[in-house]
Amino acid sequence: MTRRLLAAVAVAALALSACGRDSDGGGAQEGEAVAGGKASGDITVWAMGTEGEKLSVLADAFMKENPDASVKVTPVPWDGAHNKLSSAIAGQQTPDVTMLGTTWVGEFAKTGALDVVPPDFVKEADFFPGAWETGVVDGTAYSVPWYVETRLLYVNKSVAEKAGVTSPPKTWAELTQAAKDMQAKGGAKWGIYLQPGQMGAWQTVMPFVWQNGGDIYDGQGFTLDSPEAVGALEYYKSFYDAGLSTRDRLREGETEPKLLSGEIASFVSGPWHIGLLDELGGEGKYELWPMPTGSGDFTSFIGGSNLAVFKGAKNRDAAWKFVSYLMKPDVQVKWYQTVADLPSVQAAWDDETLAGDAQLKVFGDQLDKAKAPPSIPTWEQIAAGIDTELEKIAKGTESAADAAKAMQSQATSIGTGG
Amino acid sequence: MLSDQLRGRDRVARAALYVLLIGGLVFVVGPFVWMLLSSFKPEAEIRANPPTWWPHELTLANYGTLFDRLDFPTYFTNSAVVAVVTTVGNLLFCSAAGYALAKLPFAGKRVLFGIVLGTLMVPSIVTIVPLFVLSSNLGLVNTLAGLILPYLAQAIGVFLMRQFILSIPDDLLEAARIDAASEWRIFWRIVLPLCRPALAALGILTFLASWNNFLWPLVAATEEETYTLPVALALYAIGQNRTEYDILIAGAVVVVLPVIIVFVLLQRHFVRGIATTGLK
Amino acid sequence: MPRRPDAADTSAPGSPPDAAPNRVPADPSEASGPTPATPSGEVSGAASGEAPGSAADSAAGSASDVRSSRAPGPGTAADSGVVAGPAVGVRSGRAANSPRGGLSRALTGWGFALPFTLLFLVFTAGPVVMSLLMSLTDLRGTDLLNPFNVNIVGIDNYVRLFSDAKFLTAAGNTAVFVVVGVPLTMALSLVVALGLNSGLVRFQTVFRVGYYLPVVTSIVAISVVWRFVLQPDTGLLNEILRFVGIDGPNWLNNQTFALPTLIVMGAWRNLGFGMVIFLAGLQAIPKDLYEAATIDGARRFAQFRYLTVPMLRPTMLFVAVITTIGYVQFFEEPFVMTQGGPLDSTLSLAFHTYNQFGFGNYGYASAMGYVLFVVVVLLSIVWFRLLRSNVE
Repeated sequence: MTRRLLAAVAVAALALSACGRDSDGGGAQEGEAVAGGKASGDITVWAMGTEGEKLSVLADAFMKENPDASVKVTPVPWDGAHNKLSSAIAGQQTPDVTMLGTTWVGEFAKTGALDVVPPDFVKEADFFPGAWETGVVDGTAYSVPWYVETRLLYVNKSVAEKAGVTSPPKTWAELTQAAKDMQAKGGAKWGIYLQPGQMGAWQTVMPFVWQNGGDIYDGQGFTLDSPEAVGALEYYKSFYDAGLSTRDRLREGETEPKLLSGEIASFVSGPWHIGLLDELGGEGKYELWPMPTGSGDFTSFIGGSNLAVFKGAKNRDAAWKFVSYLMKPDVQVKWYQTVADLPSVQAAWDDETLAGDAQLKVFGDQLDKAKAPPSIPTWEQIAAGIDTELEKIAKGTESAADAAKAMQSQATSIGTGG
Repeated sequence: MLSDQLRGRDRVARAALYVLLIGGLVFVVGPFVWMLLSSFKPEAEIRANPPTWWPHELTLANYGTLFDRLDFPTYFTNSAVVAVVTTVGNLLFCSAAGYALAKLPFAGKRVLFGIVLGTLMVPSIVTIVPLFVLSSNLGLVNTLAGLILPYLAQAIGVFLMRQFILSIPDDLLEAARIDAASEWRIFWRIVLPLCRPALAALGILTFLASWNNFLWPLVAATEEETYTLPVALALYAIGQNRTEYDILIAGAVVVVLPVIIVFVLLQRHFVRGIATTGLK
Repeated sequence: MPRRPDAADTSAPGSPPDAAPNRVPADPSEASGPTPATPSGEVSGAASGEAPGSAADSAAGSASDVRSSRAPGPGTAADSGVVAGPAVGVRSGRAANSPRGGLSRALTGWGFALPFTLLFLVFTAGPVVMSLLMSLTDLRGTDLLNPFNVNIVGIDNYVRLFSDAKFLTAAGNTAVFVVVGVPLTMALSLVVALGLNSGLVRFQTVFRVGYYLPVVTSIVAISVVWRFVLQPDTGLLNEILRFVGIDGPNWLNNQTFALPTLIVMGAWRNLGFGMVIFLAGLQAIPKDLYEAATIDGARRFAQFRYLTVPMLRPTMLFVAVITTIGYVQFFEEPFVMTQGGPLDSTLSLAFHTYNQFGFGNYGYASAMGYVLFVVVVLLSIVWFRLLRSNVE
């Protein structure tokens, strides 16, 4: 502590002249290779929520294969996990391996605390491209996607049937028409529920931008005010203006009963809603539609969680061996069977457990066309700005063009934190 | 006594008062009652919209799950140890410092009090990261001591005790000094017993805050064995995309019970305590 | 309400928001100003004109307790290691303003204060200073491993705040919270305390615990029930309104009504704490004063206006300052119920600060935290001017 105090004083004395950031090294980096053989020693792992609770199942299997290794999993609450990770990095009390939300990778990579993914150990080609991208920052891979999720349309079966909508809408026009029909002929009060702004709404709306061929960031600058983006925002706005979606935000616990009762004909969400709806007795009453397509290649959002190894890891080699173990297709399938997390490894989807499930197949197909937001350190703040403008669109207080301009200027002024 | 003079008007007033107070009581205890009743409902019914009051289906499963999935003894012990030690520490150190600030003239007293008051108002989230870095340098991370020390003597406690001790007559203390008692003896034998109500007040407030503390125990514990109850509850009940209400509600009931017990036991003293803090 | 990753760090079930009283009179001497109740008022002759009757009782009582417990004089003296006779001389010598007296006084004083001061300096003052320094830099979350490699920007963060539209909105909302919420909460808690104290009501404990429950009940349970009550179609509130022919709005999703709704909810939640304090303050007013007033023919309301209120001023000041601090830091209700919406109409300063920390803008967010601090100090000064206790 004394050493640090002295260091602090010294720095303070030189403050005015010495302070300032170094400019970035730039360029993609290669990770160091990992030695072969079985893992040994202690491996400390942090994982959030249910994954943290259940990871010991896989850890035990890993330890059977690697008798000299000992994996200790510390589950961390999602609530406050971001704070905990930041503090741990600041205080240099990080574990060997940690789970990370996909949107956190940019920020934590920038701290310099994450180890670069070793070459040839965990292969990019094994994963869904959108998923792999979430772990790449400035061309360097800092984390590996562990499990993924993507968004689809959940639709009330009987309402759709009554409305005469027999197949999933493939284009924007078809989606609007389907929503109209389900409202007019299907007996629903709202044809669709799209989150009217506020936290997380970008995950529902950015896909429209991608469907339309636009993007958030093209590697040089933000493209939130491109014609494609504006078009997507206008499409989003049209649902509210046409009275197809309610402008009021629904809370957790409100959407499921409303979908099952047919008050809402459809909403956009991820795989966790299967469990939520089935628990309320909804099994068989809803179906899953993929998102519509446009001129773009990508049609939906991909999220999930990644695994990263810290630079300060005490047992680097064993840590990466554990991570790569979790990426084996059969282990990924076992993980799905344990906690219902969708595998990020494409090969795992060939397994009967997943390939044979009709609902999962829709998710699997969607994953091929799912994209993630840019892995930049400032993403959370930019996303919050986007959510604010989206709310204004949904409530009808701003036009799509103005919203796009506002989003673009906010994003540009916040910058990419690079 | 007023009650001896209960006239007709008073009886009406009493009736009206009861009606109002009981009406208000229903409002204020409503959520608590709902929470208590819901801990005996299956999870789907807890999430039901509109919410139900009396359980349609009575079950103890939530508590079963809570105690099965959580290593309850560990978390409870951690919470209890941290809360009790923190409370006792505050009672001791804050009263000592409060006594010094109230009754002992010494150089730098005003400065100290000023600094103490000043830091009271900084929102805690602002200081979490620096505090963790500090703890890390002191080797306190992932220890119960690390959970306790930052909160072992708080500015609020000093302020409360100072206020209270100010109201103790100086003559009492002077008389004791003339009788050649040491300051420590005066403090221990005279001041503290007189402070019992304020100590009870400080005790309950400190216990409450420590028992419910979430952010610091979350950040300062790097292994599950050091987690306290609020952290463990958040861990098991709050997921990335869904909340497990069965554990959350049952856990909330279990977590709040010690607090209520402590409050009921001490509230008698508590009321008298603030009374003599000079805020008549 | 699903807590997203990074959600409320105050999510612990039943975490009482600001229940731990943050009393901050701006001027320390003011703190001791509206003092003492009973004992020293009477005994030391510092007439505060308050409750002479009970003062004599408790002072005499405590004085005699002290004397009786110290009856064995020589024993006491021997304990403290000083013989009675010369001790007096030494004592009075010490009591005089001699340099040696000053030093030993200082040592004693600091001795008592030492454990607290040490812990305080290390664990409270230290981080506070660090974060103050943080607010003068552009430190971001990504700099955590190299905290000294940041640019010092002086008061740039503070200046930037005032051109941040969201900050200004949050400031306006918080102002409304405070201006409306504080008097509302105080009034409600005072009414309840008066009712309980009137001598007409039994089952005191039940009522006290009951009214304090919102302070300790888990915010999750509270939010579920409140949301149910406020639902536009099936909610209790709108059903009652429909009864009287009014078509209630969607309270939480309505830009005009969301903020007032949260204020009411805040008052509901915090009145328990004020109630307990007022109860204490009321109970310290001696009953004989009321009896005398009744004998003099004063009606209940007059008694309240001319007797109770003036004597309650110090207590009111205390509750006012604490409640103000609580509302300036209003966080949980907007966070859980509306997430600052709709359209930022319920965005509070504390919530905005929390978000900025979440984005990793540590320097900027610290600056915001300190602005909150200054606001509280200023408001406390205002309260002290307004509610300065008058000597009767």
